[in-house]
Amino acid sequence: MSALKAGAPFQHSGRNITQLMQTLMYALLPGIFASLWYFGFGILINIAIAITFAVLAEAAMLRLRNRDIRSHLGDKSALVTALLFAIAIPPGSPWWLVALGIVFAIVIAKHLYGGLGQNPFNPAMCGYAMLLLAFPLEMTGWHIPFEVITEPQPTDNLGIPILTVEREFLSPLSWGGFKQALLLAFPFAASGVIDISDFVDGLAMATPLIEFKMAGKSALLTARESGASLFARESETAWEIINISYLLGGLFLLYKRIISWHIPLAIIATVFVLAALFYAPGSVAIYGTPYLHLFGSATMIGAFFIATDPVSAATTRPGKLVYGIIIGVSIYSIRVWGSYLDSIAFAVLFGNFCAPVLDQYCRPRIFGHGLRSKSRPNEAPVKRE
Amino acid sequence: MSTLKQLASKFLGHDSVFARRTAGGIQPPSFKEHSLRSRIMSTPIPPQLTIPIGAESSGEITRLVDIGEQVLKYQKLAVISLSAKGRSDVPVHAPTSGVITSIENSIVADHSQQQQLCINLTVDGHDKALPLEPHTNHAQLSSADLVSLIRDAGVIGMGGAGFPAADKLRACSVLPIEFLIINAAECEPYISADEALLRERANRVVLGAEILKRASAAQRCLIAIEDTKPDAIAAIKQALQNEASHQPCCELVLVPSKYPAGSEKQLIQCVTGIEIATGQHPTEHGIVMHNVGTAYAAYEAIIEGKPCISRFTTLCGQALKTPKNFEVLIGTAAGFLFELCGIEANKKQKSIVGGSLMGSELGNDKAATCKTTNCLIAASSNELQAPKEAQACIRCGYCADACPSKLLPQQLLAFSKTLDTTQLLEHGLLDCIECGACDYVCPSQIPLVSTYKQSKKFIKTRRHSLEYSDYWQQRFQFRQYRVKKEKDQALSRKLNAPLQSMQAAEPAPKGQNDEADFISKEQASRDIAAAVARVKARRNEKNK
Ligand code: SF4
Ligand code: SF4
Repeated sequence: MSALKAGAPFQHSGRNITQLMQTLMYALLPGIFASLWYFGFGILINIAIAITFAVLAEAAMLRLRNRDIRSHLGDKSALVTALLFAIAIPPGSPWWLVALGIVFAIVIAKHLYGGLGQNPFNPAMCGYAMLLLAFPLEMTGWHIPFEVITEPQPTDNLGIPILTVEREFLSPLSWGGFKQALLLAFPFAASGVIDISDFVDGLAMATPLIEFKMAGKSALLTARESGASLFARESETAWEIINISYLLGGLFLLYKRIISWHIPLAIIATVFVLAALFYAPGSVAIYGTPYLHLFGSATMIGAFFIATDPVSAATTRPGKLVYGIIIGVSIYSIRVWGSYLDSIAFAVLFGNFCAPVLDQYCRPRIFGHGLRSKSRPNEAPVKRE
Repeated sequence: MSTLKQLASKFLGHDSVFARRTAGGIQPPSFKEHSLRSRIMSTPIPPQLTIPIGAESSGEITRLVDIGEQVLKYQKLAVISLSAKGRSDVPVHAPTSGVITSIENSIVADHSQQQQLCINLTVDGHDKALPLEPHTNHAQLSSADLVSLIRDAGVIGMGGAGFPAADKLRACSVLPIEFLIINAAECEPYISADEALLRERANRVVLGAEILKRASAAQRCLIAIEDTKPDAIAAIKQALQNEASHQPCCELVLVPSKYPAGSEKQLIQCVTGIEIATGQHPTEHGIVMHNVGTAYAAYEAIIEGKPCISRFTTLCGQALKTPKNFEVLIGTAAGFLFELCGIEANKKQKSIVGGSLMGSELGNDKAATCKTTNCLIAASSNELQAPKEAQACIRCGYCADACPSKLLPQQLLAFSKTLDTTQLLEHGLLDCIECGACDYVCPSQIPLVSTYKQSKKFIKTRRHSLEYSDYWQQRFQFRQYRVKKEKDQALSRKLNAPLQSMQAAEPAPKGQNDEADFISKEQASRDIAAAVARVKARRNEKNK
């Protein structure tokens, strides 16, 4: 579409893609700050690496495709992809993981399909899913900065080795925390200084829901119920706060009418209903409470920021509702019955897959179409003279 | 809905009408306040008028005056006959006195920007007029009389469509009409002519509405106006109160202010709750709609007996020092009006006829105003400019949320690119009213309406060419059929030849031979069989 505006209308709302993308980024800020507060600088390092590589990849692809680099980079869509991707990746991931994922997202998932507006799948989630398939181990740990204390203090009441309290948590925002985050991102810099395996072993921490799932499978739930502090690393509250922050960001987007309510509401309602239906306290542990499902993992960011990516989502209103329900069902089933730990990426990609069909078959009724043939009734008002 | 209606009427007194929600719509800044700052003014008589009669393609034009002839104000100049389209004739009258200098095609300030046949009138400045025939008591006239008077005054739909008002009224004589809706929902930005008219001449508009109500034999008359026009609303209320002394003729309905609230089918749904199906006509539901300007013209045509020689036009845009509403004589050049508003020529970037969302760019300021010119904008370089290059569609769906016809503009765009006619029709391209709401909200600034216009044209020509090719296919098949038939006939003649040579001995009248060409196949085969039998019989005889 390179044609200039020809005729009417002459007036325009003044809204443009750049503005849209900027507002989206602002809406991500509370969540990013929350993440920063609990998990330290890892997320900022992720963001920095992702943005750098996203801009480079975008510029290179635009160059290859003979597009005007300046105007297309100016739409900031690559930045949004980079941000979403960086947030999805666990903080403390090595730099090459982030770089690989984002380059895959921009080059393959976006530009090889024809660039902005053409990609059938959410680029950030494509990058994420690729990494999850290729590097499952690196993709599940969320690091909390700590300091190794040389003297072990065996206070473990169940005798489970992974919970030996041989580390003390650092304030994530301290200088030490920053240094650790950097070292984790750029392990080559650390190799000479300390043994990186000290951090890497066993300090990775998944989202509460994942722990819950793993715990359920390894029958550790009982341990928690009997008072063992499996979640004592504050990760539960951390995720709660992070999810609430993303929820606030999402509400801001709704208020600004950047996104419509259909997709987020459909996802959240579906996940809630399914979780409530299957929740059985005390029985098999993998069915968490509805609350855990909504606030214990990446549900909010998925519902408000990832599934609502307009390009790859369904575009009709009824289609959006069905799309949201499909994603909600997928999120829940992958979490509970699937073998992958996090489910947002696959659920969204599956939703993307369904979107074109939904657009074709879930259409609003056109004004003046499909009315019951409501021709004039016989007892029409008598003509008066 | 009906229970709601009953409830509402219980609380609000008699069967009151309330506005309903309609789909889509946008709320752009309207910029009407500039032109509403001053009162409606009449223009001085311009030295030259170019009075449009009509495009030659639209109907047969009968000229009633010749070049060089002296004409008087209100004199009938020409009649355009639209009977080919089943419509009535529209006469054109002289807006002032003067001499006809030429009759030629020129551009008219109109949406279509087509050339129209125009009468050039050099004004003599005396404004000598024919006497008028006022009908101060319209109640004495029958509805048929009213319709014919309105037709003779050359009143057409002043809202923009330009459909002869008399035809709309005549259509009502066939079907019973429950609602006459006077459309005062002037929703498009920049245009304020109707609002100004109501503000200052509400009494006459109400009288005009009453005339239209009687002419269409409607049971109720609703004046629909947007709730953001307090002055006009107050004026109508006042006028209705004055009227109410003898009989309340109209009801006022406030509709929510959004664009395009004033679009015919949307407004009908808003005030009556009836959704007019595609292809249906409002009269089938007992509804007819007229514009405020038409009501005013009807008032003038009947009460004053004055033909339609002027209209209300908004002059606005940042290049004008004093934007205002004018009562403009038909045929006045746009440039003349701009001058009257103190145009700063160096500031003007382009002229637009119509509003900012459905108007079109005026190529030439010499273009004459016609009966549908509701607004002329002299835009400066910092308003109404073409946006930068369009970006890709990101399928955000804002356009679908804005569409009053509940279409999916993003899908229509995609199918327009591939020219997928089936899908375009399936997705309701032909239901697009070209309101431009989708364009207005599109963050990628894609020229959607222009794209749809092109696709519509494509479909039209394609349909045409399909019909065309069907025609030729039929012709071809017919030819093949004819050739085959001739061959068959030739064959049968050949087979009949021995028979004929034998029959030649018998004197056969020539006409019979000719007729033999046209005998049917069975006849031929029967003859052949008979001939063969005879030949055989003869051989047998010989052998014996
Ligand atoms: S508003 Fe523009 S960008 Fe958004 S879906 Fe419609 S056409 Fe596409
Ligand atoms: S121009 Fe057509 S598609 Fe666009 S909003 Fe208006 S009716 Fe809908």
